[in-house]
Amino acid sequence: MPLRKTICWVLLVLLGIAPYAAQADEDAARAILTEAILASSNDQVALVEELAATGETEIVTNYLEAWKRGDIYIFDPESKRIPIYVPEDEDAPALRSAIVVETGEVLVNELGEPVTVDPENLDQARPARKARKLFSRLTDLVGLNSANPDVRAESALKLGLKQNQDYLRDLLALKETEKDPAVLEALEEGIAVSHLAHGSREELMAAIATLEKMNSLAGLSALGNLKAELDEGQTELEFNADERAALDKTIESINSYLAKIDFIGTCFRGLSLGAVLVIVALGLAITFGLMGVINMAHGEMIAVGAYSAFLSQQFFASIIDSSKLALETYFLFAIPFSFVTAALAGLILERSVIQFLYKRPLESLLATWGISLILQQGFRLVFGAANRQVNSPSWLLGNIEILDITFGYNRIFVIFFAVIIVVGTWLLMTRTPLGLSIRAVMQDPEMASAMGIRIDRTRMITFAFGSGLAGLAGVFLSQIGSVGSNLGQSYIVDSFMVVVVGGVGNILGTVLSALGIGVTDQALQPALGPVMGRITVLVIIIIFLQWKPGGLFPSRSRSLD
Amino acid sequence: MKFSEDQRRLIGIALTAGVMFLLPALNVTMTPESFLHVSDFQLNLWGKYLCYAALAISLNMLWGYTGLLCLGQSLFFALGGYALGMHLMLMIGEEGAYKSELPDFMVFMGYTELPSHWVPFYSIWVAVAAVILVPGILALVFGFLAFRARIKGVYFAIITQALTYAACLLFFRNEFTFGGNNGFTDFKTVLGHDVFDPGTQRGLYLLTAMYVTSCMLFNWWLLRTKFGRIQQAIRDSENRVRFSGYSTTSYKLFIFVVSGIMAGIVGALYIPQVGIINPEEMRPSKSLEIVVWVAVGGRATIVGPVIGAVFVNWLKSYTTYHYPDYWLIILGALFVFVVLFMPNGIVGLPAQLRELWKKNQHRFKSMPKDEPASA
Amino acid sequence: MTEVVINENDGAEEAHDKREFILTVEGLNKSFDGFKVINDLNLYIDRGELRTIIGPNGAGKSTFLDLITGRTRPDSGTIEFGPDHSIKLDHMREYEINRLGISRKFQTPSVYSHHSVYENLMMSLNRDRGVFATLFYRESAADKARIHEILETIRMVDQGDRVAGSLSHGQKQWLEIGMLLAQDPKLLLVDEPAAGMTDEETERTGELLLSLAGDHSLIVIEHDMDFVRQIATTVTVLHQGSILREGTIDQIQADQKVVEVYLGRQHSRDEEDAS
Repeated sequence: MPLRKTICWVLLVLLGIAPYAAQADEDAARAILTEAILASSNDQVALVEELAATGETEIVTNYLEAWKRGDIYIFDPESKRIPIYVPEDEDAPALRSAIVVETGEVLVNELGEPVTVDPENLDQARPARKARKLFSRLTDLVGLNSANPDVRAESALKLGLKQNQDYLRDLLALKETEKDPAVLEALEEGIAVSHLAHGSREELMAAIATLEKMNSLAGLSALGNLKAELDEGQTELEFNADERAALDKTIESINSYLAKIDFIGTCFRGLSLGAVLVIVALGLAITFGLMGVINMAHGEMIAVGAYSAFLSQQFFASIIDSSKLALETYFLFAIPFSFVTAALAGLILERSVIQFLYKRPLESLLATWGISLILQQGFRLVFGAANRQVNSPSWLLGNIEILDITFGYNRIFVIFFAVIIVVGTWLLMTRTPLGLSIRAVMQDPEMASAMGIRIDRTRMITFAFGSGLAGLAGVFLSQIGSVGSNLGQSYIVDSFMVVVVGGVGNILGTVLSALGIGVTDQALQPALGPVMGRITVLVIIIIFLQWKPGGLFPSRSRSLD
Repeated sequence: MKFSEDQRRLIGIALTAGVMFLLPALNVTMTPESFLHVSDFQLNLWGKYLCYAALAISLNMLWGYTGLLCLGQSLFFALGGYALGMHLMLMIGEEGAYKSELPDFMVFMGYTELPSHWVPFYSIWVAVAAVILVPGILALVFGFLAFRARIKGVYFAIITQALTYAACLLFFRNEFTFGGNNGFTDFKTVLGHDVFDPGTQRGLYLLTAMYVTSCMLFNWWLLRTKFGRIQQAIRDSENRVRFSGYSTTSYKLFIFVVSGIMAGIVGALYIPQVGIINPEEMRPSKSLEIVVWVAVGGRATIVGPVIGAVFVNWLKSYTTYHYPDYWLIILGALFVFVVLFMPNGIVGLPAQLRELWKKNQHRFKSMPKDEPASA
Repeated sequence: MTEVVINENDGAEEAHDKREFILTVEGLNKSFDGFKVINDLNLYIDRGELRTIIGPNGAGKSTFLDLITGRTRPDSGTIEFGPDHSIKLDHMREYEINRLGISRKFQTPSVYSHHSVYENLMMSLNRDRGVFATLFYRESAADKARIHEILETIRMVDQGDRVAGSLSHGQKQWLEIGMLLAQDPKLLLVDEPAAGMTDEETERTGELLLSLAGDHSLIVIEHDMDFVRQIATTVTVLHQGSILREGTIDQIQADQKVVEVYLGRQHSRDEEDAS
């Protein structure tokens, strides 16, 4: 199918494929490893050190471990000795497939068919005693030799935290040659932490100063240990008052830095939870303003969106050969698709039931609840009772660390998307003729009708739009957890609260109250745990309504009731 | 013969009560072979239905007659159930699975002694007082806050739902000392009688039937009083009542507390008959189910809630047994149907059909006139 | 505006001491979303007086009644009830204000539509209105007689058993006035009583209101100038939340400024052009 191929190619080019350069380094490391396994015990030490110098962290750690455990065997058909890796597994059958150390591929015969082996009948490759002694040190140190500065930096800090005198020497040695500023910084931090245990008095004091300057969170526990040792007299060191004050000040300053970071982190998580709530509640607020009543089936519109995401994932997996590519791309399709399906569902709901109930608001609450029951059971019948898994594309999985604070890509994405949705909705409501009719119908349907607005059509479109927003919320919720028929229910009570606190059909009120509730929830959770946190939020909301019964932005009417 | 509305209401109550008391009579007097025999199992099932009926009456007091859609009724119900359940748990004594003085779930969770707020519940009177006071005081405090802030309509529905949801989360926690998600179960005796004895169950059924009857009579009496009229006036035009010198807040608070207590007592009658209470019973969706019963039976009528509760729950027993996958769909569809096409419920159906007949007759008569015009 | 106030102040010094105010409103202000609906309003109602308030739409007439009855709270200013100014209304609840003897008829008739006419009046009677009092209320012969009397006053004796929701618009207006009477009020606030009535009904309403004055004090808001002419003793013209003029109906109708406000700028400009 040419179209399918074209799409695949375009996407491949767009996304970029695995970097080939890295592949070459890995191959070199595998060659040295193979040589080392086959070498005589005298040569092994040198070869293993050479291997560590390649800095191929993954290969070194995994294979040296396996070699030590005895999972490396020699496969020798026709006297050609091939080292292979047969993973240890108690449940595995006697005959199993193996991985060729040199290539990392599954062991095959000349015809390219996978070959199974029985480890019992193979020679186990045992590392020489001298070489084996080096292993743990080498696996620890290999990261320092990595070509990747991130790995070097991470490993430098990790080694520093071990407060090992030998490693301190390695760190100091690396510091002489290292050029990368990020790695140098990590080295400095690691060395300082090690100096806390092994440094001379001057080095020790300098280390404390360095850690304070760097606001080193990693060094905090080492500093705490040092303080405890001093207090309990477990060390020969004796600090004078100034030195002691410096130590205390450092710990305090890092702690306050930690508190600040925690605060920002909480705000960020609260903001992202608030963003999810905004997306969930915005649609609800719109239908609420329209009907004067909460749409109890709104949660099921969310589920419609989430199941649509699931369906688009399945669909992409079936039309695109590369499963990785399908995973990376389906999400871009799922967003509009979910919006459309949920909007359609909303449209049907409005035409079939709700249009008859605009004059009986409380009863429309009950009817929509009936519909929500039907839909929930319907999902179970169609998709099964078990939850369905929707996988996230890799570009939503990672996270970025700024100033020791971790920002998950998915959270950033949700915030970003919520902003787009809010701005889009706001523009729609305030800058388009449709928005004008929607607001007119919300305020006074009879008058709007008298002014020539087709209220029937406006209500239909508004309701479909609100449901579509719920569908979008469903896509995001599918990324956070698995998709089940009750998905909407777990968020619906919260979004009711958002709408009630925000005030009737008011976008700004909805946004503010969603963010407020999100941040409060996240701020309370560390102290109270998730359940008590939720309950406290609910209680706070009840009290808030005492103060402002109509929500943040109440609507005012002049009629008697 | 023509009856006044008041008399018609009384006749309705008498008929309903007659049916309720007929069942245990059939259970005792008829032989199992007889067509009219009501088995012990069925009687127990009907006892459960009657509990639901009383629950529906309590909601109807609020929703039907005062216009307050309360979604916290399942909470009051469960609180009453839990209050008596504490006593029943303690009465198990050392006959539990762990042969300990403590209730089984406490042993399981590693308690070594009874939490102090459990101790008074060795006395049945404390338990009975709690059945009334706990829902009553909760309704009083919450109602005071809500009505003072003039939260009403949809807002009241949502905020009571939030309260129920919060309480439900709380009771699901093991640390809350009420058995977490397993709740209370495995009761052995109630007031010294074996719970599994058919005689005990018959007694509990009679108690429930009497309770339902007195709830209906109370409702009937209330409608005759000036209070009852003001209650309905609040539903129709709260501001007018307020501007006529009535503190509508006190009126709503009074009926809210009464309704909460009524629901609490139902909870206490319910658990010895069903033998279990857990936080599932206070889920917000349970409250909505009660609303369905009232709507199906007929809002703002005395026997409507009873008929609705019994009908819907009978339907539930039937469908969950025969078509387990479709029960929720049927319930949902029933509700949508009732809201759309039967605004007065089953009780209002005859009147609605008469109306429809009249209308169609009229249309039928006027048809020949229309036809030439359209042609 | 100042002219009128000065006029009133001329002989006011001694008169003030003699007159018994039932309602004293001073320096009243209220704004919604920054828009001043009531602007530094001062108003004095004598005991037994029938005062008519007129004014164009948005002049703040209904808001003024809302403020008196406690439906909305003033931003500043005082509303005092009784001759000794002892009762401040600005922080009382609606039902408390009503129990003092201030009753209000709303612009759109507001009756209990599911209850009978008789029950509507029975619920409005000035009896103990506490929860338990109504639970154990028994209708006395005196109560029955009083309700019957009111039914006669509002000419609905044979309608007692009718459901209020089925009454005509004019009948509902009358019933609501009857409900006000049942409350034995000292001050009646009547918002557009003649709206939706036939000419004959309007005239009868006017007679009824006139017969009430003296025993009761009344504030009537009305647009229908014939009706105002029928009932009015003193007319107050409200414009943009303050008093524009106060005087007899003839004075008011002759006043150039009032005409201008009522008929709009266009009118005055036309006149200028003509001159």
